[in-house]
Amino acid sequence: MRSPDHDALTRWLAAERDDRSDEAEAVLLELFEALPQLAPPAGFAERVMERAGLKDAKTVPEGLFAHRWTRLVLAGCLLAMALSVLWLPQTLLVLAGTWSVGGLVDAGVRVLAGAGVWLAAAVRFGGWLYALGSTLSRPLATPQVAAIVGGCLLVSTLAFRFLRDLIQERSWTHVDPI
Amino acid sequence: MLGAIFSRRDEKKALTDPELAASARAGSADAFRELVRRFERPIYSLIFRMVQDHSTAEDLAQEVFVKAYRKLETYDPSRKLSSWLFKIAHNTTIDHLRRGGVETVPLEAARDGDDGAGLSAVLPDEGVESPAAAAERRDLAKSLERAIGRLRPEYRESVLLFYLHGASYQEICEATGLPLGTVKTNLHRARKQLAQEMTSMGWGPEA
Repeated sequence: MRSPDHDALTRWLAAERDDRSDEAEAVLLELFEALPQLAPPAGFAERVMERAGLKDAKTVPEGLFAHRWTRLVLAGCLLAMALSVLWLPQTLLVLAGTWSVGGLVDAGVRVLAGAGVWLAAAVRFGGWLYALGSTLSRPLATPQVAAIVGGCLLVSTLAFRFLRDLIQERSWTHVDPI
Repeated sequence: MLGAIFSRRDEKKALTDPELAASARAGSADAFRELVRRFERPIYSLIFRMVQDHSTAEDLAQEVFVKAYRKLETYDPSRKLSSWLFKIAHNTTIDHLRRGGVETVPLEAARDGDDGAGLSAVLPDEGVESPAAAAERRDLAKSLERAIGRLRPEYRESVLLFYLHGASYQEICEATGLPLGTVKTNLHRARKQLAQEMTSMGWGPEA
């Protein structure tokens, strides 16, 4: 069975062949009705509004120094820092006196030992994760289970995509004037 | 509150094109948003079929509306708003084609790259015809798209404006800046070339 559009195409080509210009034009108009008007991606209008500078200005976080108390605390900190500079040389001298090569080596060894313990823990956790992954993925080796999981993933992906488009299209910002 | 919001939207939707433009010109962002929504499909469709690339088409279509917003005071309400927008779309697209030196486009690539947002995703009335007829309708639409894509840009634009968007000769003249005789000649030649292309694709009377 031929579609009505194919019939229109045949009539158009015949009209063109016979130089029946008016008829060809009319039939071609009919034929073009089969072509859809394409829609831009969702959220197009909002992107235009943004580009035109008409989108609601994004909420700018209030300035850090807007509050009087923040300014006072900051000023206090600066003052304390300035005063501490006066004692800096004495403090450094005391610290230099307490340090020794043995102490430094001891501290280095302790740091290395601590890092080793953490590394071992991380390796154990990695091994556990690997075992868990292997256990979970074993059923996927079955074609039926793999197909079902694949289907579920596809459906959920499509659902998320649809939801995202819906949210973008029906965003409340659409009805909020600037 | 929701009622108030929706009634305001409906209010904008009820405005005529010149009223909408006047409201947008007076500073109503809602009116301009409605204007964009009202014309986004024809403008995007025209530009996409001229440049055959979704992201470029979106970028250019956005540019068209931004230019329209900035030049709203030059819009003459006694003329059709769509013609004015098509004129801006024409200038923007031509600038792009000239910049890129694009004269023809790789239609096969464009067709293969159709991610479903194109024509095959939105063809109407498939529910009331047989699957074979629906498939034929789809094939025919694709062939027609390809044939349109093979036209010279100036022919393609006239064809799209006239046959797809229902613009009159006069409106095409306004949009493209071409004299009436040239528009008619372009349309006539484009139609002949389209017929040749469709025949060469196997859509002749014997198909």
